Amino acid sequence: MIEVKGLQKHFGGLHVLNGIDEVIHDGEVVVVIGPSGSGKSTFLRCLTLLEEPTEGQVIIDGQQINAPGVDINKVRQNIGMVFQHFNLFPHLTVRKNITLAPVKLKKMTPEQADAKAMELLTKVGLADKADVYPAQISGGQKQRVAIARALAMEPKYMLFDEPTSALDPEMVGEVLDVMKRLALSGMTMVVVTHEMGFAREVGDRILFIDEGVVMEQNDPKAFFANPQNERTRSFLSKVL
Amino acid sequence: MAEWWEGITKTFYKCFIRDNRYKLLLTGLENTIRISLAAAILGIIIGFLLAVCSLSKNKFLNGIHRVYTDIIRGTPSVTQLMIIYFVVFATVNWPKWLIASIAFGINSGAYVSEIVRGGILSVDVGQTEAGRSLGLNARQTMFEIVVPQALKNIFPSLGNEFITLIKETAIVGYIGLVDIQKAGDFIKSATYEAFMPLIGTAIIYFVLIKLLTFGLNKAEASLRKSDIR
Repeated sequence: MIEVKGLQKHFGGLHVLNGIDEVIHDGEVVVVIGPSGSGKSTFLRCLTLLEEPTEGQVIIDGQQINAPGVDINKVRQNIGMVFQHFNLFPHLTVRKNITLAPVKLKKMTPEQADAKAMELLTKVGLADKADVYPAQISGGQKQRVAIARALAMEPKYMLFDEPTSALDPEMVGEVLDVMKRLALSGMTMVVVTHEMGFAREVGDRILFIDEGVVMEQNDPKAFFANPQNERTRSFLSKVL
Repeated sequence: MAEWWEGITKTFYKCFIRDNRYKLLLTGLENTIRISLAAAILGIIIGFLLAVCSLSKNKFLNGIHRVYTDIIRGTPSVTQLMIIYFVVFATVNWPKWLIASIAFGINSGAYVSEIVRGGILSVDVGQTEAGRSLGLNARQTMFEIVVPQALKNIFPSLGNEFITLIKETAIVGYIGLVDIQKAGDFIKSATYEAFMPLIGTAIIYFVLIKLLTFGLNKAEASLRKSDIR
């Protein structure tokens, strides 16, 4: 369970997050939407401390992770992150991209990690790309490798930061398919996205973030059918 | 024409063959290579440490980098060499070539640090974020992910620095070491010939650096195998 209490993030005078309280339950798929600059990516990045919260608490499985003395590296091993721009390691093959962390962090032997990598690559439909470099595959394939890389650490939570925003339209589907299957397998996911179809179909709950606060949240059906907040209505009228 | 050619061969014989003078040049070549290699290795180590200092959040470490590069860049390398030989290591009985290597290594380190620093900064911050998000610590991320990519980017500049370093070592005659330059100089004094020994010196340096450039290009091509361009 991820609990967020009174989360604020300021960049100098800019208040990006203005107090967010939220609980994400195990097995839940939470989709975060909102206009650009609303703070939704910052919210997501705070959950794995890629941004240090200015105020408030991020509590994962009962442990406050933004407290002094916490081994954040240990915490992060349990939280997979997928980035908008994939951030694959260009100097390593697809296989090495996936096995690097499990082997370096002594989670697996090289043989185990290799078997895991092939298993994951098969799942995302890229078993034949194990030994090529990231520069040799398409954007959609890169993002699927990035998902496999995060899954190799066998995390309990997966965070997605606009995973399809940098993709050509015809490649969006293949990435969303992988995410859909992951959601069906029971993974706890927080997904920042502009894909309303995905939000509606796969999300258990939608958070609408604007001006650094959660303006509205609901289950997808009710959220899209009957938005309560004026800002939500205006946002949805623009994106739907 | 024949007379001219005879003159050339005579001078050549006098400058390089008689009294086994070519052996002097070989000794010089050996010294130049040895000093350059040792200095390059030391320079890369120092340069790397300094780059890490300059990128650290620690103000004291930043200061070390700033003062070091300021001093090295602000003084001539021949002055640095003489200070290190005649002052710093005055009472130490180490071989001259080693002391010279240390002096050039210290000098080169300042320049290498700027190259390495630029190389590390050129790697997208997303790479660091990806590494850290997997649970790798800052050091593992630096050495497994950032540095290998930075090295590839800075390899041409590092090669260039090595070439500069080889030519810089031509001043080791100041502390009584015989390198290529000094060997040529000795021959000039002994034979009263200027043209042949000096052009010979230049050709040896040129060939040495040409060979090195060839090797560096080969090495760079193999580093680039993960890029499709």
